[in-house]
Amino acid sequence: MIRIERRIEANPWWTAGTLVAALVAGMLASALIVATAGADPLEAFRTLFFGAFGSQKAMMTTLIKSTPLILTGLATVIAFRAQIWSIGQEGQVFAGAMAGYLGSQVLSGLPPLLFFPGVILFGVAGGLLLGGACAILKTRFGVNEIVSTVMTNYLAIYLLSYLLAGGPWAEIGDGASYQQSVPLPAAEHLPLLFGTKLHFGVLLPFIAAICGAVMLDRTALGYEIKALGTNPVALGHKGTNIAKTIVVVMCISGGLAALAGVIELYGVGHRLKADNLVGLGYAGIIVGMIGGLRPLGTVLAGLLFGGLASGAVSMRVVSDIPASLVPAMQGIILLFVLCASVMARYKIVRGTAS
Amino acid sequence: MSGLFQEAILISIFAATLRTMTPLLFSAMGELVTQRAGIWNMGVEGTMLMGSFVAYFVATATGSLWLAVLAAVLAGAVMGLIIAFMTATMRVDHFVTGLGLNLFAGGITLYWFQSYVHGGPQPSFSGFEDVPLPFLSDIPFIGPVLFSQRLLTYAAFFIVPAIWFLLYRTRYGLELRCLGENPKALDVKGLSVPVRQYGAVMFGSAMTGLGGGFLMLAFSDRFIADFSAGRGWIVVVALIAGNWKPKGVLLAVVAFAFLEAVATHAQVVGVGVPRQLLLALPYIASIILLMGVRFRTGQPAMLGFPYARE
Repeated sequence: MIRIERRIEANPWWTAGTLVAALVAGMLASALIVATAGADPLEAFRTLFFGAFGSQKAMMTTLIKSTPLILTGLATVIAFRAQIWSIGQEGQVFAGAMAGYLGSQVLSGLPPLLFFPGVILFGVAGGLLLGGACAILKTRFGVNEIVSTVMTNYLAIYLLSYLLAGGPWAEIGDGASYQQSVPLPAAEHLPLLFGTKLHFGVLLPFIAAICGAVMLDRTALGYEIKALGTNPVALGHKGTNIAKTIVVVMCISGGLAALAGVIELYGVGHRLKADNLVGLGYAGIIVGMIGGLRPLGTVLAGLLFGGLASGAVSMRVVSDIPASLVPAMQGIILLFVLCASVMARYKIVRGTAS
Repeated sequence: MSGLFQEAILISIFAATLRTMTPLLFSAMGELVTQRAGIWNMGVEGTMLMGSFVAYFVATATGSLWLAVLAAVLAGAVMGLIIAFMTATMRVDHFVTGLGLNLFAGGITLYWFQSYVHGGPQPSFSGFEDVPLPFLSDIPFIGPVLFSQRLLTYAAFFIVPAIWFLLYRTRYGLELRCLGENPKALDVKGLSVPVRQYGAVMFGSAMTGLGGGFLMLAFSDRFIADFSAGRGWIVVVALIAGNWKPKGVLLAVVAFAFLEAVATHAQVVGVGVPRQLLLALPYIASIILLMGVRFRTGQPAMLGFPYARE
């Protein structure tokens, strides 16, 4: 007889196995979705993965596309590990880009060694304040963080739209496109790494992931974050100021997401424009969750989805399949991974109950 | 400004309030049933978006608006089935399930939409027209506001008492409220908790699908990305602000709809305020509203807690 029993301790092999099974099942379901739209799934996946990992150039694009996803993924990890369901990453990416752009107007003309750290701090501060504001709404006023972060996402998007559509930061003049700023001067583009096409920002997610892993596993704050997620009552009895911890968590999370926005502005887009930012925050939620809410898992998931994002471009060109297949796939895979994360807590045993 | 002009504007704002209220009200009453059954569904936005897209697809492909309404309701029910499977059967966290579903719906509707249009000109349809009721619509002021609306808006007038009756005056409603307060009581009586939760979530999501369908068929003639634009989240806010009671939720929905109607009219009249600020008003109002709501007496005790027998 075969029964299903709850595990007392997680088995890493079984956990990894359920995750891989979920990825495969998600791919199969995505193939079905491709077929519903009348396209050839095999052809879609072939061009998608070739475009993502098929050449050195493709892999560099993958690395660049993964950078913001890993950062917003880490922002998700920090918040969700504390069971704070912040989905403000999208708005914080926008806030980071806007505050970072403001920084360029203040700091313009400084030597690069001061300019880039300066504008990055500006950007991070933008997301940090937005995250912190939602945290205070939660701790002081009891406003559910999911709802408040959704609302602030819309506010950040509308603010950027106001600033760029005829507002103070709009590009004016002949041939100016709608809803974007003037391009940044070349001196204000993030420097490239050793003659490659990679900007310096691609290093940040890896540094952030290592810091995040150390913080979660080796520091008092990390302990408090995990305890907030698993047993907030006990944490309160221990004498930890829970409200303060929530504010700290959401500030760190907001700062990380904002870092994605400011890096995208100075490293890739080189001008403030919503099209360059949209979806990075929401995709980060998926990346963080598929990464098992662990920093290193998030790096892997971010590389995978960054790859799909870069492969989507060539898939559209070669196979004429819309690039929006990638967000659709992300959503489908996420649903399977969520189910797998529950299955990882159970085991299949033979024989009767002991 | 002449008095006649002012009256015309007022009539237009109130009529628009009722029109704007319709999709929110269908969805809010459906989700009220879902949440009273203990499922804290955060996937309202995604469900509504799916309803809107399916309505668009069926309306342009078949040319039948009522078929499109039916399809939107079915699409909502299917989304509800996914939510119910994940929350009641798999017992995934309710918040995470909803977030996942929203991201899924956002991605897949965009993919289907782009595949459907395929770079060509976007098919459009002509939506529902107003159906003025004979005699009643001739009453001054009240007539054009109340009785010159779309058919589904008239239906929305009856949905609040109907849901109230279902929840408080039927056996099924009693069981449903029990699901949210004390599911164990049902379980020990031998009544299946998951079966009732599936029913409640699928009903609620079907209503949200209907709301999304109406949003598409009465307000637009084509689909765009993120078409529902946060209205599903407004419904979630309305449930909390309305303290999980039909009348309270109705009041919250009317307030939001009125705000949106005022904002769209301010745009048309040309008030010297940035357009984006007017568009952002419902979201700012949501935050302020939730800051002011200090009572949560109506929140079902087991809302958001997956039920397990052991």
